[in-house]
Amino acid sequence: MLEPSLDLYGETYEKVDGILAELLSKSHARYAMILDRKGFVLMHRRAVWAPKPPSLDSLATLIASNYSANTAIANLFGESGFKETVQQGAEVGTYLEELGEKALLVTVFDSSAALGRIKLFTKKAVEEVRAVLRDAKDEAPSIEFDQEWSSSTEALLDGLFGSGKS
Amino acid sequence: MSTINFSAREINFKIVYYGPGLSGKTTNLKQIYDQVPSESKGEMVSLATEDERTLFFDFLPLDLGKVNGFKTRFHLYTVPGQVFYNSSRKLILRGVDGIVFVADSAPNRLRANAESLRNLRENLQEYNLRLHEIPYVIQINKRDLPDALPTDMIRQVLDPEHRTESFEAVAAEFQGVFEPLRAVSKLVLEKLAQKT
Repeated sequence: MLEPSLDLYGETYEKVDGILAELLSKSHARYAMILDRKGFVLMHRRAVWAPKPPSLDSLATLIASNYSANTAIANLFGESGFKETVQQGAEVGTYLEELGEKALLVTVFDSSAALGRIKLFTKKAVEEVRAVLRDAKDEAPSIEFDQEWSSSTEALLDGLFGSGKS
Repeated sequence: MSTINFSAREINFKIVYYGPGLSGKTTNLKQIYDQVPSESKGEMVSLATEDERTLFFDFLPLDLGKVNGFKTRFHLYTVPGQVFYNSSRKLILRGVDGIVFVADSAPNRLRANAESLRNLRENLQEYNLRLHEIPYVIQINKRDLPDALPTDMIRQVLDPEHRTESFEAVAAEFQGVFEPLRAVSKLVLEKLAQKT
């Protein structure tokens, strides 16, 4: 089965992108990222002044796994989850909010940003994204997985892993 | 369940290497990382203990390439094999699209293989999944052990009805590493084509 974790395309995508841009501008965060709970990046935004981020795949996987582990810890105590997930190092921190049942919104900030602002504007962004997704009317673009697609992917598999023995 | 990202034009799949402790799951990922060209792979992340046993998972993103304008990507994970890390194993299985079960050929690990497979079935049930519904292959690793059990005996325990494709391997020497990954990737892609 194939499904988008969030219906982010067309006008909805543009609106959510705008919300992330505003979040960065108002909170002074470095990066804002929407990822699904399996650890795949769905959208991301980087402040114009921010340094190049580390590998987004690694970041998303670790954040999603950390979120899952924290939820499992909360479950051990009879809680459905922890209300806040904040991590702060000497220079960089992350703040995470749930975005529906399948996704997370993560803000990465440095010591120049106040945690209070980060929390405030991240929560606000989550509410705005939820509203946009609720009102979304875009039809999902169609994608066809026909015989041609199967042959092409198989050729790519052969190219990457070889068709013989390793 | 595979994920499509229309905005980034990506289709993402999650493949998990499962199996008993020290069967060679991390070794598989390290070999894949070493052998795949740099433009097709991302960073490998390992969350391991000080003695290099997997604590939470290893992770390696691979880019297969573009088809019909969509980038096809595989995220490879290992689970910690040691029995007491079951909570972590459950978490890693969330959203799994394909599984490579890495079995150990050592005679004293036959039971550990069977228990790990049973544990895999139990953990999949937590997500309302059943093993035979998921693209799944077996890699019988460590075939270079002098006392390696016959593959028939291992398969008799893990797959008595011969429903699953299996591959012999010496992962530490990069033998039989790509074949199971290629096979499970193909099954995952075929399943997607059937469902849509």
